[in-house]
Order: sequence, then C-alpha cells, then structure tokens
Amino acid sequence: MTVRGRDAMLVPLQDALRDVKADEAELHVHRRRSAISRYAKNQIHQNAVADETLVQARVVVAKAVGIASANSLDPADLRRLIADATAAARESAPNADWPGLAGPAPLSEPQAYDAETARADARSQADAIKRVTAAATQRACRAAGTHQIELTEDALANTNGIATYAPSTLAYLRALVTSDTGTGWAEDLGWSARSLDPSGVAARAIEKAALDRDRTQLAPGDYEAVFEELAVAEVLRFMSLTGLTGETLRDGRSFMKDRIGEPVTGPRFSLWDDALDPRTLAIPFDVEGTPKQRVALVEGGVAKGVVYDRQSARWFDTRSTGHAADPRRYTVGGHAGNLTMAGGEAKREQLIRATGRGVLITRFHYTNTPDPKRATMTGTTRDGTFLIEDGRITRALANVRYTMSALDLFSGIELLGPQRLARDWWSSNGMGSIVCLCPPIKVARATLTGSSPL
Amino acid sequence: MPERDTHLVDLVDLGARRGAAYADARRVEREYEAVSVRDGEVESVTRSGDRGIGFRVLHRGAWGFAATDRTDDMSLRSVVDEAFARAEAAASTRAAAVALAPVAPQRGEYRTTLSRDPFAVPLTERIALLRAADAKLKGPHAVSRRGGIAAYRTHKHLVTSEGTDVQQEIVESGAGLAVTAVKAGAKPAQRYDSRLVRQAGWEFIEHLDLVARATRYRDDAEAMLDAPLAAERPTTLVFTPEFLALLVHESCGHPTEADRVLEHEVAFAGTTFMWPKDRGRLRYGSEHVSMTADATIPGGMGTFGWDDDGVPAMRTKLIDRGTFVGYLTSRETAAALDLPVAIGSARAEGWQHFPIVRMVNVSLDPGTQRYEALLRGVDEGLLIEAPASYSLDDKRQNFHFSTQSARLIRNGALEGYARGVSFQSLTPAFWGRCDGVADDWELHGFLSCAKGEPLQLMRVGHGAAHARFRDVPIEVRG
Repeated sequence: MTVRGRDAMLVPLQDALRDVKADEAELHVHRRRSAISRYAKNQIHQNAVADETLVQARVVVAKAVGIASANSLDPADLRRLIADATAAARESAPNADWPGLAGPAPLSEPQAYDAETARADARSQADAIKRVTAAATQRACRAAGTHQIELTEDALANTNGIATYAPSTLAYLRALVTSDTGTGWAEDLGWSARSLDPSGVAARAIEKAALDRDRTQLAPGDYEAVFEELAVAEVLRFMSLTGLTGETLRDGRSFMKDRIGEPVTGPRFSLWDDALDPRTLAIPFDVEGTPKQRVALVEGGVAKGVVYDRQSARWFDTRSTGHAADPRRYTVGGHAGNLTMAGGEAKREQLIRATGRGVLITRFHYTNTPDPKRATMTGTTRDGTFLIEDGRITRALANVRYTMSALDLFSGIELLGPQRLARDWWSSNGMGSIVCLCPPIKVARATLTGSSPL
Repeated sequence: MPERDTHLVDLVDLGARRGAAYADARRVEREYEAVSVRDGEVESVTRSGDRGIGFRVLHRGAWGFAATDRTDDMSLRSVVDEAFARAEAAASTRAAAVALAPVAPQRGEYRTTLSRDPFAVPLTERIALLRAADAKLKGPHAVSRRGGIAAYRTHKHLVTSEGTDVQQEIVESGAGLAVTAVKAGAKPAQRYDSRLVRQAGWEFIEHLDLVARATRYRDDAEAMLDAPLAAERPTTLVFTPEFLALLVHESCGHPTEADRVLEHEVAFAGTTFMWPKDRGRLRYGSEHVSMTADATIPGGMGTFGWDDDGVPAMRTKLIDRGTFVGYLTSRETAAALDLPVAIGSARAEGWQHFPIVRMVNVSLDPGTQRYEALLRGVDEGLLIEAPASYSLDDKRQNFHFSTQSARLIRNGALEGYARGVSFQSLTPAFWGRCDGVADDWELHGFLSCAKGEPLQLMRVGHGAAHARFRDVPIEVRG
C-alpha cells in the first residue's frame, strides 16, 4: 500500500482554504485503504481491496453551519466542495450555541502506525490465513474468518490555523473454527501486522472448538461468570454509547446524570478514555482537530465525568476533551471510543478456579440495549460458552441470552486479568468505532434470561 | 442518465484478455442531501457525494476485487493488477472453483418513477416542514427533539464480460423524527422512527404527514412516562406493520440469505437455521404466514432493474403458508446450492464494495381480514407499536425485541398504554403463534441493513400488515 504522506494530504486543503469567503471553514480528509481477505470452509471466498478518500468541508456563516463531503482532493473538486458547504450554511439557520472551530494546539505524535504493515500485500494475507486453515484441517475442523490490513491517513486544516496530519494502520485476524460438535473463536488485533500470531489464533480457536461438545442448556437465572475480553468490550460499548458523552448527560439519558462524584459500580471498576495509550488504535486528534485527552470516567466505582466535543463542551461551559465523533456514525455530542478499563494480574485459569458454579463467556453476537439509562445490554453468546463447576470447565453450553445492567455487572467484579486490545461485535464489524483495552473478569453475578436450542 | 462510461468496457476487455473467466466493472456515483433540526433549530445542512469504480474478476477459480475513486489511466491499470493479484492469492487457498449460475446478457436502463425530485425542493420548504413537525414534538417533558429529511440519488453502470451493459438511476426520499421525554421518577421515554424512506420523490415526504406523525410521537412519549407496567404473562400481541417489517427483516430475510448457508458470513453476520434439506419441510410459522422476496415492487427500497450480478429484478416465495420454500441468492450461491436463478440478490453498497447476497423487498404477505377484526378477536392483549432494542443470535433463531410504546387492548379496543414490554422467542415458535394477518399491507424501508466486510449498509424494503400472535410470553422491566 502506498502512503500518500503529509504534504499530499494536507497541502491541497490549505490551498483550498486560502480564498474562502465565510467566517470559518474546515476541511478534513480521511483516506482509507482497506484490504480484506475473508475465508470460509478453509478457503478465501472474498478478497477485496478498496482505496477511498473522504473529504468533508464545514463552513460557518454567521453561526450557521453547512457541511458537504466528496471523495476527491482535486483542487477544482475542493473548491466546489467548499462552495457547496458555503451554500448550505447560507441556507441554514444560525446555531446560537455554535462553539466555533478549534484553534491550533500542541499534539502528540501518532503512535498507531507501522510502515511495514502499510505495505502488506494479498499474498501475505493469504499466507497468514493458510496457517490458520492448515492447523484447523489437521484437527479435522474447518476455519472461517477475516484477515484485514488497513491504512488510514487523516489530515485536517481550518481557517483558525490548524494544519495537522496523522497516518495509522490496523491489522486484524480472526478465526472461527468449527468441529463436528461445536465452534471456537480467537482473534488478534493491533496496529502492526507483527502483532498477529496466526498459529496462536488457530490454537486458541481450536482449543475452544474441541471443548464445545455435548452441549447442555442452562436454565435462566443468576450465575457467577467469567467474561473474556471480547465479552467485556461488548458491555463497555453500551456504557460508552448510553452514558459517557456530553450529549447523553445533557439529555438526561446517561447513568451519570446527577450522579457524578457518587458510586455507580463496585470499587474494582475503573474506566477512562485514553487515545494516547501507545497500545491502542488511534490518532492524536479528533475530527474537529482538537487534541485527544485522557479522561477519567469512573474511578474505583465512582462516576468522574464524561467526554466532550466542542458543541457539548459549550453546553456545559467547559472545554472539548478531543472526543468529537465521526459524523458518519454518531451524532454531535461526544464519543468515548478509546476505552481503557483497569485490569489485574489474574490468569484465565485463576478466574475459572475462583468460580463455584457459573458460565464462561467468550463473546457476544448482535447485542443491544433495552434500557439505555441503566446501560443494560442483551445479547446471545457464541463460539465458546461453557459451564464452570467447582473451579473447572465441565460442560459446553448452548448459547445463552444475557440481559443485565453494566453497572450491576461491574459491581460484582471479584477478579481481573491483564488488559488486552479488544473490540465489541459491532465495532469489529465496522458498525462502530470503539476500541477497548480491557481485562477478562470474574464476576459474582451475571443474569441469563434464556437459552438457544442445542 | 450520464453518458456511458467507456472506462468500464476497457476494464472488462482487459480482464478478459488477461484470462479472467468472468469480469465486471461497476461505476457508481452517489449524491446525498440532508437537513436536520434539533430542538427547533437547524442543526445541519449536509451535502455529500462520491464516485468510483469497482472491478471484479473470476480468475483461476477465485474472486478478486479492487476499487478506486481515481479514474486516471494509472489508477485503473493498478485496479486491474490488484484484482488479479487478489484472485491469485485467493486461488492459492481454494480446492474448488467458483461457478456462476447462467443468466442471459442484459441491456437497458432503469429509473425510479417519481413525481417531484427531492433535490429540487427548496431547502426553506424542507426546513419549514421540519420546524412545523418539531413544534408538535414539543410536549411538557420533552428534553430532546430531532427531525431530518434526506434525499439520495444513485447512478450505477454495470458492464460484464458476458455482454451485460445496464444503467440505473435510483432516487430515494426519507425522513426521521425523534423525541426524548424525561420526568423525575420515571424512566425516560423515546419515540422515534428512522425507517420512513422510500424509492420515490418528495411526494413520499408529503405522504408521511410529518406534522401529524410528530403529534402522535409526542403523545406516545408523554404517555409512556406515566404508563403502568404491563403484566408479565403470556399475552396476545397485535403488531403494527412497522414493527413486523423489522421482525420479517431479522427473522426471515436474514436466515434465507444463501451465503449464510455456505458459511460465507459465519464469522460475522452468522449462519442460519434454514438449511437446504429443510426446503419444503421446515415448519417456519403458522398457515397464516407467507413471505415473499420481490425486487419489482414500485417504491420499494429493495427495488431495482438489475442486481450487481446483472440479474433482472424478480419475485420469489420464501415462506409458503408456514413452510420454508426459498432462498435469496446470487449467481455464485445459486450455483453452489444447485438452484435456478429465481431471484437476483447480489448487491454492493457502493463502488468500493464486493457484491454479496442482500435482501430485496422481503415482505409478509397480506391476509384477508380487516385490522379492526383482528383487534375484535382480542379480549385482553397489547398492540406493539414500534421497536426499540433488538438482538438476535447468529442463526436468527433466538431473538429479543423491546418496544418504544405499547397500547393496551381490552375487549377489542385500544385503551391506554403499557410500558416495559419486551419479548424473546425462537423464530419458528414465534411465527407459529400467528393466528391472523390483516389486509392493511404497507411498505417500509430500511437504509442500513449491515452485512459484509468491509461493512456494507444496504437499502432493503419490507411490507407487512397488522398481525396477531397468541400467548406470547413477554418480559416486563421497570
């Protein structure tokens, strides 16, 4: 993959902004080159690469905002884009709470970028997949999944003098191994292809698939539980969307409403948003050009605050924390997308040994929230749901439906393992953009409300 | 229609010369314009567009796909090189070659029928309508009100190495309203709809009557704040067409997608519980339940001239009087399952996406009785009006839905509201409880059915009428 670089991405924006006839204007370009190899039944069935460049213009005229986007950095196209946004602003009504565009501020260096990963080709992706499928075939299983390499380049310039650029890379490998009796799942995620271990992914998925036999159904009720990292990331997603932004606080939908400074979970739960952690996937500025800051959300179970973009910061008479959301996915009001949950030292085996009678949950599928105010999540498990009895896995379970408030779940944390990079089902499939550094946990109580058939 | 894109013919010729068994090139150009109002003020006016070319080859028995938004010669040559490189990499993993079910070459044009181009409606007219609706959304406890109107236009030109050369221009119009009401001591209530979209012009926005709709949403949200909890017990439920449209989408549309059968989506969207051996045998629902996939319905969000395999729009039965009978297929999946091409369902969201099996318009067929007659058959029950949360397992067999608002039915008449209602079920068990479908069939549209990697958000249509389900176990949460 070819990196276009700072000048190729930024200079056309700066040139286009020189003669803007408006109070304020901003251009943000997001280039994404995504190479995805999808495999099923041990062979690649879709193998695609796409290179796209999204340019968005925001133009402000007398506090009225116009937005236009296109997919070209050609000077004539950028001029037309600004003209479209200007026309939209002139047709729009003023926003009395308009906070103004961001001004220049010191930024950290981009950390989530690896030039070698950006150069990965189709053959290297196929080779990684072959290591997974060979291991699965050896165990008389079949494997399915995805190998993804992505290069992004973001550049943002505005009439207040911001001119910033950051590249980033993403490498992702997932494997679903299916045996005659069940399924197992494993994945690796990082900003470098070196962080992907195809053999390790295959081994973990195969181990789970081998355990998934002679399933039994579990009656609904409250159980002790071990949530692996992907399952924890799923729960964190709903905390983020329903309660950790200036918009949800303003609307009264956040569980933090009137509770900042009060305990909202048990003391073993701490959560912050930190895009600057070198382990996570992020660039150092948000889509408004504001530097991303580390924000404490919950500390020792006590609600500490939420994240803000410029608009929601204005509502609360505070400063943006650098959490403006991708407007293609989220509404104005902030987005907590780089969550870090405090972890611990417990190994997976210790979490299981500490469980008298309970369930181990690998991951969830198609979750949702029937009660946003309580950050309640419902979803069925898949690809590794097991019964734990007297500190060891004794049976595979038919997938269960879990329905519970995140606040209640995290109030019952008894043990925490080390953090790992993980995404919820929605974000790993491109339907969200939340990345978590989170631990596996052992909790005193998880509420199961149903079971799938055997 | 724009002029024919000669680049596409050149690309396909080049693909054929380099030995591809099949090649297609698809140029897509999209326009979008939206205005949104929040709490009575214009929040944003947005215009966007993109254009690009996707190139697909079947080479050495495997697919390769590459896409670009640049149309200079070097970029287009690079797209061809990359598509072949990806096909060769995929072929190195394959034991069996991809085959395509035969389809005759297609030529022609398709255009949405519309009365008034939504892009031509002055912004002031759109804003005035949204402000009028917003004023009606404002109840005593409303803390957040939103409204939006959007217009979409897509030009698509497909050329294949088999001689297909078709152009389409699709125009869609949509609107959305949302209100959040908050009252001390009560659970916040939200009433919204973001599925008011149709392949049509401005006339559809007028048909929606946003002002009257906003009044209803305000009343629903305010009433839900004070509504008593429903009683948790097996209950007769009558569903609105709006709610059933989503249920049909999730529990029939998805599990009849043939790529799920072939495990192409097993690691993301999931598989199915409706396998080829079950065709003609599996009891999916009661005798009242028939469902049809139809890409020819005027105004449907899943209506087109040709899919992205070049298959002309068709109609086929999926569920026939309760029995599973058919799949949604692409040429590849039809061949793999040894099925004739009874429906063309291969679609890509944009130029940058590989076509995969997607729903067209998948609908619950109408019944013969009137809605009022369905209601009269309920001594005590609930009218389930609009979906809130929904969650499904990877086979589309185990689902959980909650509702924004529910109305009490007593002695055949609507009487007040009830809150806290959700239900979970297994798909055949749920549809098996259906004992009547009304004749008030109406069409709904979805903009963002999610599937594929990279993610593709697809437009799909769903028709439904009011329908009644007996003894559904419900959950009630305060």
